[in-house]
Amino acid sequence: MKIRTALAATTAILLAGVASAETMKIGITQNNVGVDSYQTTYEKAFIAAADANDAVETVVLDAGGDVARQIAQMEDLIQQEVDAIIIWPTNGEAVIPAVRKAHKAGIPVIVTNSNIAEQGFDFVKSFSGPDNITQGARSAEIMCDKFKDMGIENEAKVVHITGQPGYTTAIERAKGFEDRLPEVCPDVTIIDTQPGDWNREKSQQVMEAFLVKYDDIDGVYAGDDNMGVGALNAAKAAGRDGIIFVGATNFAVGYEAMAAGEYWGSIYQSPVDDAEAALQTAIDILSGKDVPFLNYFDTPKITQDNMGDFTKPVF
Amino acid sequence: MAALSKAQIGPILAKQGILIAFAVFMIAFTIASPKFLSVDNVFSVVRSSAILGVMALGVTFVVISGNLDLSVGSMMSFSTIVVLDLHDKIGPFLAIPAMFAMTLALGAIIGFLVGYLRLNSLIVTLGMLSAIHGLTLTYSGGQNMDIADKEGTWFSVFGQGTALGIPVPILIFAALAAFLGLVLGKTAFGRKIYAVGGNDTAATFSGVRRARTVFNCYLISAACVATAGLIQASRSLGSQNTVGQGLELEVLAAVILGGASLLGGSGTIFKTVIGVLILGFIQNGLLLLGLQFYVQFVVTWVIIILAVWLDIAAKRGKLWSPIA
Repeated sequence: MKIRTALAATTAILLAGVASAETMKIGITQNNVGVDSYQTTYEKAFIAAADANDAVETVVLDAGGDVARQIAQMEDLIQQEVDAIIIWPTNGEAVIPAVRKAHKAGIPVIVTNSNIAEQGFDFVKSFSGPDNITQGARSAEIMCDKFKDMGIENEAKVVHITGQPGYTTAIERAKGFEDRLPEVCPDVTIIDTQPGDWNREKSQQVMEAFLVKYDDIDGVYAGDDNMGVGALNAAKAAGRDGIIFVGATNFAVGYEAMAAGEYWGSIYQSPVDDAEAALQTAIDILSGKDVPFLNYFDTPKITQDNMGDFTKPVF
Repeated sequence: MAALSKAQIGPILAKQGILIAFAVFMIAFTIASPKFLSVDNVFSVVRSSAILGVMALGVTFVVISGNLDLSVGSMMSFSTIVVLDLHDKIGPFLAIPAMFAMTLALGAIIGFLVGYLRLNSLIVTLGMLSAIHGLTLTYSGGQNMDIADKEGTWFSVFGQGTALGIPVPILIFAALAAFLGLVLGKTAFGRKIYAVGGNDTAATFSGVRRARTVFNCYLISAACVATAGLIQASRSLGSQNTVGQGLELEVLAAVILGGASLLGGSGTIFKTVIGVLILGFIQNGLLLLGLQFYVQFVVTWVIIILAVWLDIAAKRGKLWSPIA
């Protein structure tokens, strides 16, 4: 039985390999296009990158945030016998059976943007996406460097606004930041941590409470720029100047606030890079190249000092 | 509580159980955190509760009429996105009435389906929740909406301005609460809403036009949502498509916490306001206490259950149910 499965899988891979000599048919099922600007831009960039490559034919699907729909889409793609499937998981746990099914059918699966849970790793060829722990660590470095410039690295107090509790991205960024900050700036204290749920308005409310509670806040780290700008709005309304704001996933609003000198830094994560990296990972796997299991694309630091090197995010 | 000279204070307590619960929490939080009752903090809580509060005023009408409105969260996202988009296209003077008209049209659709076609309001508004979300995303193309010139617009006055030292969102909330409180408590239209929610067959036979009354309640709810969207848009001058997501349940919780019955026929604007304030101050108080946020979800629930229990215990004059 096992041998038969293995044979079937090998044959399928071989067939896929033969097919790829002409065109590679790559299917993608996305999480929830249109729910935010990042995902919208990602889809456009993915389609553009695929169109630009004659060797690639794509089937682009969107699960609309619905796990059941995503599983059905995985099954459709398996039926259509695509050469590779890229999945942006709606849920890191629930999609594993569908991923396993594709794996058993001999179709290599590439996970994009946010990884699936560890017990599904055996069925996945590669994860292509940002390294959120490194992002959190880099945000800590940006903030620490700025404190050193200002000469307050021995006393500065920081509040931390995280993404939605329970989300992998939120947990990893928070971990990266909280682990790295004491390494680079051991005397800076994180005085409070509360979730802003990736929501600008919620983050603004949290920051308002922080401003009431603490008379002395030197820095704010927010899990993304949307929340960072919400916190900035709260500080501006309360007339509290001189706070250093650092975020992640540089949004257009964050970029503008940086240009205005109100927001110090962030992490530049382009949905275009994200989409192109996912497609390239799939192509490399189908061409038989060696691809690392965790295939991160680079997400550099951006601050008021070097923002000229980056174009303004379109989202 | 019930043991203290019940004869005199019983009737007062019975009417104001939720107010007593509110006072108890306020005192407890003030003891726990000295900054809780500072002017800055109170303004900040009421200002951020104003958005939820304005929506709750409208939903109170709908709930008293014996119906539900679960679409207010996504409708608020819609209003916010539309007014921000139109602000840069046709200017704030036209953008505000245009946004109100579009939001009222959505309210009219719901009012028609629930009022005149007598469809179940839970199904209609649950469906509208996702339909309006889709509409918002289609309208915006999934992009965040931001006003280009944030410094140079007077539009920020609704969310960020102050008058007589009081933040404008609070003034809007208070004025609207006073006005709608009068409409509900002192007019014939208000009495018809209670009649329809209490017993719509009896109301119909007494000559109340049920369909029209329900329709008007949804229009009022939509107008409140549009006002909330205006405050929201003006407060941050930019927004995600999902800004109102999940608010429908918080709004409903505030209305029910205030003592309105899900079965219709009872509730007041004043008590809804208290319900809104309790939720706002709980959230803020737990933040000030610095409780870990995973714990906050649980503690919030405990406090809400305590409030509901105090309210009911005061009404029946006993801590335990007499027939338990």
